[in-house]
Amino acid sequence: MGTELGKYKACVSARSTSKEILKKSQDGGIVTQLFAYALEEGIIDGAIVAGPSDEPYRPRPFIATSVEELMTARGTRYNISPNVSWIKEATRSFGLDKVGIVGTPCQMQAVRKGQLYPFGWRDVDSKIALAIGIFCMENFSYQSIKQLVEDHAGVKMESVKKMDIGKGKFWVYTERGATVQLPLKVTHKYEQPGCHVCLDYVANLSDVSTGSVGSPDGWSTVFVRTKNGDDIWSKAIAAGCFETKPIEQVKPGLELVSKLANEKISKNQKTVEERATFGVNKALRNPYIKP
Amino acid sequence: MSKVVEISPTTRHEGHSKLVLKVDDAGIIERGDWLSITPVRGVEKLAIGKTMDQVPKIASRVCGICPIAHTLAGIECMEGSIRCEIPTDAKLLRIVLQCANRLHSHALHNILTLPDMYLPGTDTKINPFSPEEPVRSVAKRIVRLREIGQTIGEIAGGEAVHPSNPRVGGLYKACTPRAVQKMYDLAKEALPLAIEQMDFMIAVLRNYQKRDWSEVGGKQIPIPKTLGYHNQGYMASHPMYSSSNLDEHPGWNPERWTDVRPWDWYMGEVEVSLADPSYPIGGTSPVGTKANPQMEACTGVPLYDGAPVEVGPRARMVQFKNYDEKGTIGQQIARQMEYPDCLYTIINALDDYNPSGSVLADCIPQGDGSLGWAANEAPRGCDVHLAKVKDGRVLWYEMLVPTTWNFPTCSRALVGAPWQLAEVVVRGYDPCVSCATHMIVVDDDKRIVAQKLIQ
Repeated sequence: MGTELGKYKACVSARSTSKEILKKSQDGGIVTQLFAYALEEGIIDGAIVAGPSDEPYRPRPFIATSVEELMTARGTRYNISPNVSWIKEATRSFGLDKVGIVGTPCQMQAVRKGQLYPFGWRDVDSKIALAIGIFCMENFSYQSIKQLVEDHAGVKMESVKKMDIGKGKFWVYTERGATVQLPLKVTHKYEQPGCHVCLDYVANLSDVSTGSVGSPDGWSTVFVRTKNGDDIWSKAIAAGCFETKPIEQVKPGLELVSKLANEKISKNQKTVEERATFGVNKALRNPYIKP
Repeated sequence: MSKVVEISPTTRHEGHSKLVLKVDDAGIIERGDWLSITPVRGVEKLAIGKTMDQVPKIASRVCGICPIAHTLAGIECMEGSIRCEIPTDAKLLRIVLQCANRLHSHALHNILTLPDMYLPGTDTKINPFSPEEPVRSVAKRIVRLREIGQTIGEIAGGEAVHPSNPRVGGLYKACTPRAVQKMYDLAKEALPLAIEQMDFMIAVLRNYQKRDWSEVGGKQIPIPKTLGYHNQGYMASHPMYSSSNLDEHPGWNPERWTDVRPWDWYMGEVEVSLADPSYPIGGTSPVGTKANPQMEACTGVPLYDGAPVEVGPRARMVQFKNYDEKGTIGQQIARQMEYPDCLYTIINALDDYNPSGSVLADCIPQGDGSLGWAANEAPRGCDVHLAKVKDGRVLWYEMLVPTTWNFPTCSRALVGAPWQLAEVVVRGYDPCVSCATHMIVVDDDKRIVAQKLIQ
């Protein structure tokens, strides 16, 4: 298709140079490292991230204003964290002027839409200083992920050390060293139905987007998309925050990213088209076509 | 033989109002009627049956200049009705909000009132939009003061206009130490600006007071030394914040309040017999225009101890600080003198505020239908909201807002002034008319008024 990866200025494979970050990060620790750098340099004065909550692996959006706080949010939790819902509060009772936010492609769309039409977003739109997007095929509700882990994988949520989706499988690593893998076929029915109309895999609208796909284990693929993103990314590189490799020299490389992006788009395009004739004389509006 | 002049609409204030003036041969006002012609909002009727959490938010929508005062008065009258005490930290943030509101509102009023004034030592009227000094730096200072007031309001209240954070029982969210720091820094930045602005305004106002004439519509109009004098009383509930029925010594008493219908207060139908096409912004109404203040007025006339009273900065100063200067200029100066107080109060409140304290009452009763009231000292004066809440629903709601109190008082203050300066007197009250507009239907008698107005 050619447009599946969106517009970007540069694409590299990268990982953080901080051992502390890599110890608990999902892949290359890109989001944590970039936010940590931006926080230390004063590019942002707080970041909205998916932090821990009372329940294991249930993310709770929270506003990290120091690197220590940021560290508690390392790693991916495969379910919904409504980060955008905190963006206004960040500029209000938290008193932030330069906000960083991380989110899935749909959340990046929300952020940009809010900036374009700031209804109810007085003084919020201009305060978004860094928006980092993460690759996303689909998302799960917490109940779904709990059922996958506890019923299908037979692991108690409390004993999970890490979850991962990669190589066509859903992986659950436990504290005691056991590894359970589920074929992705099992997970499909637990996906949020709303994800099936999304035509964005690589967070086209973010400043910088990142994900594991396309890079070797322990590394992440990074798209630098906007001028602002490019500016911050190049400063972070110059400061020695990241090790990078040209994306052309790593396996599996951009081809896999393109393949998965195309898969997502063509699969979801079908849902979009189906929904156009859904219901009795009440076709749902296609969100990608102007009415 | 007296003549009738009508200035409609009046300009450089919020809302729509007009002046119907009976003047003598020399053009001196014998009787002045200043009335609101903004359509009735009906908030009091909308409120009935809504939850006590909804109503203050709806009430705040009557106006975008002091929504903070309306929200706080609305919430506190609900709390007064359900007998709910809020935590100290919530109260402190509300005080911060209140002062931020007053700061940006007073600064806005400076912009509206300056075009009546002269640059000291010259015969040049001030145009606050002029790109030239010294006016430019004044305009910039005003804009910065407003910006700071609104930003502090935004942090403590969630929104610069129509604050979302205050709620019945306290506040939804506490401010983080960082946010407190930011507000503190902003207040510190604003303090010297506010003092400079106060000094500038007082100099300009005193200069006007010393002048013999003011130019209106190409004519030199003599300025009487008693411009805007009246013999009405003053009403204020608190020097800065608010008083409610939960206070040990309430600053307002509902027993002393009565209402009169506009039908009984304003003059009946008159015909305009004096017109001046050169009066600024399109001239006065042409000769032959019919005016009927009785029917056109969209406000009730609230009385305190049976007489109209003045509310606002001067009322606060008179009640609590022994201020005694009368007239329009005295009133304007009192307003400027409140500038530094707003900021000192913000700074003190933030010093006392504990970011880790609770901002929501542990128990929020649902109410038994008893009367609660809150008299919030809004920028323009005492904003009284009254409510009866039962089982979380509002049974009865009433708003007695500052400009409603000021309408009849200002009408009296017009007497003795040349009619061309009537608007200067009106602007001295910093009128904000849209919230002042409402109809009161309390008993059968008054229901007839409503019918008359509709016909």
